[in-house]
This record gives sequence, C-alpha cells and structure tokens, in this order.
Amino acid sequence: MIRTLAEVLEQSGTPIRLQAGGKAPDTVVDREVKKEPCPRAKKLRDLYFQTLSSATNEFPYWYTRKYFELDGEVPVVRRAAALKEAFSHLTPTILPGELLVMGKAHYYRGSFPMPWLSEAYYMAKEDELYQAALAKGSSSVDELSKFGAGGGNVTESFGNVVSIAGKFGMRREEVPALLHTAREWVGRSVDDVGHRYEQMVPEYPMKEAIMRGIVCMFDSGYTLPQGREVVNYYYLLENGFDGLIQIAKEQKAKVAGRASGDGLAGMNRLYNYEAVILILEGIQAWILNYAKEARRLADFESEPQQKREYQEIAQRLESVAHNKPATFPEAIQMIWTIHVAVLNEDAISGLSPGRVGQVLYPYYEQDKAAGRITDDEVLEWLQLQRVKFTCIDCFASTGVVGGVLSGNTFNNLSLGGLTKEGRSAANDLEKLIIEAAICCTSTQPTLTVLYDDKLAEDFLLKATECNKTGTGYPAWVNNRGAIDFLLNQYGPEGMTVEEGRAVAIGGCLETSPCSWLPLHLDDKEYWIPGGSGQPTSVGVHFISLPKILELVLFDGVDQRTGQPVYPPHGKKLETYEEIVEVFEDYFRKTVDCLVATNNIQHDIWRKQNMAVFNSLLKPDCLLKGHLINELGYRYNGTYSVESCGTINLINSLAAIKKVVFDDRTAGLENLKLALKDNFGFKEASEVRSFSLADQRKKDESGKWDYIHYLCLTAPKYGNDDPYVDTILKNWEDWFCGMCHDYESLNAKPLYACQISVSTHAPMGMATIATADGRLAGTTFADASMSAYPGTDRNGPYALFESATVWDHSLSQNSQMNLKLHPTAVGGMQGCKKLLALTQAYMRKGGFHIQYNVVDSKMLRDAQQNPDNYRDLMVRVAGFTQYWVEIGKPIQDEVIARTEYEGV
Amino acid sequence: MNTVLKHMDCRNFAPVDVAKGICHHTKELVLADVEHCEHFVATQKCKLCDHFVAGAQYLGTCNAVPQKPMTYPDLITVTCEMFMAAAAKA
Repeated sequence: MIRTLAEVLEQSGTPIRLQAGGKAPDTVVDREVKKEPCPRAKKLRDLYFQTLSSATNEFPYWYTRKYFELDGEVPVVRRAAALKEAFSHLTPTILPGELLVMGKAHYYRGSFPMPWLSEAYYMAKEDELYQAALAKGSSSVDELSKFGAGGGNVTESFGNVVSIAGKFGMRREEVPALLHTAREWVGRSVDDVGHRYEQMVPEYPMKEAIMRGIVCMFDSGYTLPQGREVVNYYYLLENGFDGLIQIAKEQKAKVAGRASGDGLAGMNRLYNYEAVILILEGIQAWILNYAKEARRLADFESEPQQKREYQEIAQRLESVAHNKPATFPEAIQMIWTIHVAVLNEDAISGLSPGRVGQVLYPYYEQDKAAGRITDDEVLEWLQLQRVKFTCIDCFASTGVVGGVLSGNTFNNLSLGGLTKEGRSAANDLEKLIIEAAICCTSTQPTLTVLYDDKLAEDFLLKATECNKTGTGYPAWVNNRGAIDFLLNQYGPEGMTVEEGRAVAIGGCLETSPCSWLPLHLDDKEYWIPGGSGQPTSVGVHFISLPKILELVLFDGVDQRTGQPVYPPHGKKLETYEEIVEVFEDYFRKTVDCLVATNNIQHDIWRKQNMAVFNSLLKPDCLLKGHLINELGYRYNGTYSVESCGTINLINSLAAIKKVVFDDRTAGLENLKLALKDNFGFKEASEVRSFSLADQRKKDESGKWDYIHYLCLTAPKYGNDDPYVDTILKNWEDWFCGMCHDYESLNAKPLYACQISVSTHAPMGMATIATADGRLAGTTFADASMSAYPGTDRNGPYALFESATVWDHSLSQNSQMNLKLHPTAVGGMQGCKKLLALTQAYMRKGGFHIQYNVVDSKMLRDAQQNPDNYRDLMVRVAGFTQYWVEIGKPIQDEVIARTEYEGV
Repeated sequence: MNTVLKHMDCRNFAPVDVAKGICHHTKELVLADVEHCEHFVATQKCKLCDHFVAGAQYLGTCNAVPQKPMTYPDLITVTCEMFMAAAAKA
C-alpha cells in the first residue's frame, strides 16, 4: 500500500530526490575548494558565529526625542535633525583586533526598530493595537513565516533577554522604553497614516482580502521602503564630509527664497540643503565618537600592537570624518561608514555596495604603485569587510525578515561588466575580492558576476573556483540582458548605452540603474560606477501565482480560509482559454488595487520619512536640490510587480490543459475535488514537515491516486517540451507587458520582477494542492526559472531551452538555481565545465543562474545535526544564508531540488 | 531600580550582543549579567546621571532639558553631552 508521496512519485516514474546525469557517491562529499581566512578575520568571524542577533532602543530613543521636540518644523528638516540626534548619540564599540570599525548599533550584530515606520509590530502582545494588527493582513503572513532555530536568532526569551519576533534579542531593561517610544508613534507612523489613506481607495476591501489570503506578501511602504538598489559612494569619496557640507552651504545660499521657475518645489531646495547639512554633521559626529573611543582604548591599552592599531583607527576616522580618503584603508573605511549610515537612516534590505572593486580600484592602484600596501594587506581588509557586512542585521517584522528574507540582508557586490567605453571592467582588485570570498566564506556581501563575453577567461575561472566553495556565490548575471532592460525602462529618463554599462545588481537580483562619475585621486581621473536610481522592487510585493489560479478554479474563494478574495466570476471554465482569461482578469485586479494602495503608502513615506542621506549620495540630488521625494534621483521609474510560484502556475496550467481539456482523462470538477482533498494526503502542517518526501496519505482508499498520477505525469517545465514551454512564453509576454499599464507614484510605468527570495515557502503554505501534483502547504518551486524539484529530467541544457523561450530582458530579472554535486565540477576540468554551462545559459539569453555545489546528503545531515554545521551556507533564491538560520520549509525545499551529478 | 552593577555597566565592557561582551582588560568574553570584577570602571548611563529621575520600572525622566523627556536607567550616555555624574548614585 502506498503511504507517502515519495512512493507515489516512484510509481509514477518521477522519483523524488532526483539525481540527474549520474549517481552520487554513497558517502557524503565535501566541497572541493576550502581555504582559511586570515587570522584576524577568522577570529572576528568566529566571534560572529557566537553572536546573537541583538536589538537596542538607543537610536529610536534619540530620534524620537528630538523629533517630537521639533513639532512644527519643516518635515525634511525635522527628520534630518532627528537623524542627526540619533547618529550623534550612538554608543561606539570597537572590539580588539578590528581594523575596519563602526556598526549599525553598539552590538556586534546589532540593529534597532524604527517605530516611525510601523509601531504596531513590536508593541504586539503589549498593547491593544496588537488586536488591530491581527485584523490586518500582515499578521497572517507573520504567522506563516518561520525563522531558523539555530545560529544567532534569538527565537525565545531567556534570562534578561527578551525575544522580539523570534529573531532579535533585546535587553529586558530596554523593553519598557521601547514600548514607550513606540506609543509616541501610534497614529503617526508611516504604517498608520498610510493605512488611513489607503482605505480611501475604493478597492481597499479587496486588498485586505488579498493580504489575508496571502495572495500577496507585504506592503513595501512601511516595511522595507528602501533597498534593492545600489548605493553611491562617489560624492563623499570625491569631496569628503567637509567638502560636501561646504557645497550644500553654497547651494543653500544660492536657492534661499528663490523658486527658479519651479512654483511647486523650487522653494523646497532651501530646506533640503539644510537637511543635507544636518545629516552630514550628524554622521560626522558619529564617526568622531568612534575616533574618540579609539583614542580612549589606545590610552588604556598596554599591548603595543593593539595600542598602535587603536591609534591608527583613530587617525583614519579623524581623517575620514572631514576629508576625502587618500589611501585604500581610508577609502574602505569611508565606504563602510557610508553604507552603515544609509542602513541606519531607514529600514533597508538589499542595499548593494555595487561594483566595489571598480570604486576602490584607484586607491588600490596608487597605494600599490607607491608601495603603501601589499596584496596580502588588501586581502585582509577585504576579508574584514566581509565579516562586517555579515554582521548587518535588518530589523523588520517576522513576515518580512523571516518569510521573505530568511534573515538575509542582500548586500550584493557586483563584479565584471563593462567600462564606460565598453571594455571589460574586471580588474585585479576584483580577483582579490573573489579570493577574499573564497578564504573568508560568509553570507555578506554576496557576489554577482556581470557576465559579458568580453571578460577574460582567467577572471571567469576564478569566479567558478569561488562557486566550488559551495557558498552559492558568485551568481551569474547576463550583463547585456541587464543593459537591454535598463535601456527599455530608463531610456525615457535619458539613459544612454554608455550609462547602461554602469549597471549593477541591487539586492539579490534587481537590475539597478547606475551612473559613471569622475573620481580624482592624485591628479588622475577615474570613472567609477555607482547607483543613481530609486529603490527597486518596491511597489507590488510578491503575488502568488498558484494562489490566484486556486481562486480562479474556486470562483474567487480562498480554499484555506473559506473567505472570498475576488468577486465571483461565475464562469463554468469550459475551455482552457477561459481559465487563462479569468486568471488574467484576477491578476489585473490584484495589481490594480495593490498599486493604488502601495502608491499611497510610499507617498506617505516620502512625505514624512524621506531619505536624506541616501538621497544626497545619488546623482543628481545635490545638483538639483531635490531629494528622493521630489524625484531628485536621475532614475525614478523603479517600481515593480513581483511574482512568486511561476513554475507551479505554468505546470498547473499545463496539467489542466492536458488532463481536462486535451486528453479529457479527468473532469475539472473532479480535479477540483482532488485539489481540495489534497489528493488524499494529510496537510503538510499536520505531518509537521514541508519536505515533499515526507508527505503522507490520510487513508488507504486511493481515491485520488489516478488523478494525482495524471497530474504528476502531465508535461512539466524544464524538459524542452513545447507543450508547457509555450504556456510559459505566453505568460511571460503577457505579464511583462501588462506591468507597463500601471503607474507608480512617480508617474512612471512599473515593470516585472521575478524573484522568489523566500516567499515560495509561506506562500506555498497558504495554498492548497495544485494541478501539477504539488501538495497543500508545501513550498513552491524556488525562483522563477528553476524547475520544480525532481521534474527537470532531461538535463541542464533542456532546462535552459525551456527557460529561454521568452525574452528575459523584458523583465527586471529572472532567476534560475541549480544544485550540483561537488563531483560534477571537480578539478580544473570541472571549473571549465561550470563556466561552459554558465556561458551556454547566458548566450541563450538567460538572465541569471547560480549554483549550489553541495551534496544533498550533507544538507540532510545538517538538518539532523545543526550544531555540526554552524558555518554551512547554501544559496536559497538570490542570496546565500547560513543553513542553521533558514526556516525548515526552505531547508526542505533546498534538499528536494534536483541534484545534478554531471554537467 | 536594580543597583547591582554588572559587567555590562563597566566602561571596559565592549558589548557583543545582549548576553555578552568582551572585556577590554582581559580580552575575553564575559557575560553581561555577571557582577563586575575588581577592574570595574563605571560607564556612563542615565541611572548614574544627576539629571535622571527614576520612574516606573526601567523608566525615568531626563531633567537636563526643559521638556523633561522619558528616558531609561540603562541608556548608555557616553555620547550624551548633558551627562553629569551623580557621585552618590555611582
């Protein structure tokens, strides 16, 4: 008697835990490439492994105190003054052995809440607002989002430590003050004010139903309003803090009281420049507080080398606080300080440093030439930078940080690409960045190679060597495809091909507009790339495509909750085309109401929580005198519609078409009954496992076995089968086109964004069984171009054929994850195979591919024995994360992915 | 107010996370909640400031400015320009 899904799949000829292209050895095979960090980085990384994710109330306290002191002040000045107060009161902590210093908070892995964005979240259980929050859709998502139980997550309170949201620990002594601070923002936060106004959208009740049903995950206006973008370090590298303050003062004098032909916003420039000055002064004070602490420690320290290092830290910070950097150590300290400052200004995930190897190259080149630094010293700095980036935590709700991000912060460093003139932009410093990532494996910054045929083979092979560490980085992105996308989207805002070449990836996989700016160092000019666009992947966050199909089949009613989400369509769905037609109608309704409500939330954000520091860093805010809220950025058409579960949708449509309409081997009503009854299986939550292999039958009746067999054996994406690939192409052409019909608050068209991050777990949990044979509550296929686990049975090149039936440059991205057994890419020959595989996908027009080079047996062992695998990392969907910090549903999904034994 | 001073109240305690820190004196990890050692040097916190007035548990008032805003005893104030050591409290 068949009892488990594994047995059903075995019988249907589609066994789970598929090993494709060969058979893996019976014993666990470790990763081939393993190197050690330098001693200093190792010590600090080991400390990270022992560190709990820790939140503090310090920044919120000082921000709130000043903000309410300034009631009546011009909003942008009031915000900048509050930020200045908070920055200048942060407690500086410097640990022994650190060279690169400063952090988000005084804890090593510190972060803090921002109640001015949303206060209800951390007042949960302590305030009557909790009940109101429960009535809002976001609470449903929080309940279905899971953090990993290990690593640094504080999943439970202990001693004097209170667990917040199952991830962050906060000292008991700070909690009452946090709640007091939060109460100040009740009715005033972006969340609360935005919520008041979004209810004025006529379709708002549908939006609530959509969020409760987890058809969509998350509003972006008050959760992570910025990020998924590339920071720009240029202006401070070129001018220093004192220089920028001077520029702002001069500009302020020029514009004071003058509209300059702009009757709407011209006068605002005065206040904006005043805000710029305030925030720069605040960050200067913050840096100097660290310098002062370094001096104090130097005075206190008796060990000569440590004493000297404290003194050097102090000197570097005292210089960086005022002047443009002159050396590589000063420059790397400067960009790290800028990065943390931007992260502290707002709740941000996916603030990418961009093409750091090209930004820092001038300092590297000149220091090397002058004998001021060696490659070994640079390598140490780069490893220390990795540890610092890995310490970044983002404080947001459980649903956002756990359900979407898996605790990751997505600081994506891009490599390669082209220069302004169209030559290979890869350089020796970038090779050192890769080497640092090989030696000091850590989740941040993750790496992306902007693949172009012009990149030299030795550089590309170095990147494949890094892939073989099993960390999942670098990801490979199609440089030409990315530029094509940018020109399509930002051509109307003036982007040229030359500027398109400055592209970098923001967040995990968001193609972001960037610009070239001329850096001057010792009378030499270097054109360096940096971000010049607004946050991307804001707008409509993660629409669950399989969930919408469920709602189509069941006349608009959510089968998990029994609640209506959409108006009933009342159609009999007698043809495949009718199903597609209703699906498109429901999808449009979803996008339409979410665009309207999110536009309002973002508008409230930009009115009262606008970025001041991040704005002044981006072209052309300083020149124009307008910040992000007044479209001071060079590129403003950055809002997107994100999707999740593409391949389950496509496979389900293919199964319905095949089984119900073409072969007529089952009726639609019968199929719906089978879906509702989960093909006779228990719910995943009842089994207490989200692993496909673990799903168990409810009884022995075998009532739905045949129809389940038909669904499982229907054509599946990933096998170069035109039957199903045509459905994918039709969907992509329609989806990528329809996004342009919607307008962001910046009056620019939206675009498609096709990454799953971690949403395929909670969204799968909220969706009943699907017609492709997937069971209720189990995770969707990851990414957007990955095959559903075990269904890509014709090898990677067939998968590539399927994935590239559509033009990927129509979308901001697409995402393909491939799991390779370490033996499949062993030795130098393996590196070349990996490169050839990558090139094959890129040349077909695939946008992104990344590899998990790992033995699935090791992952299963790590799930059973997490304590033995504190440093094990895997690639999830656009990001690398420590295995022990990932929730179980995603762990199960990564284990289930097809493992390629040969390529 | 809890007046037992711990490692976390020491100027030489570099906080690593909510439970522990590194002692600059020994360079070793120490637990935040353990009572301080003989090398203790009090760090600046609101609870040791002359402007601080204790309120409900873990809360208080800062009298350094006219608005008298809320504050809390364990707020670190090494960067607070208004901090005034209260010898009696220390």
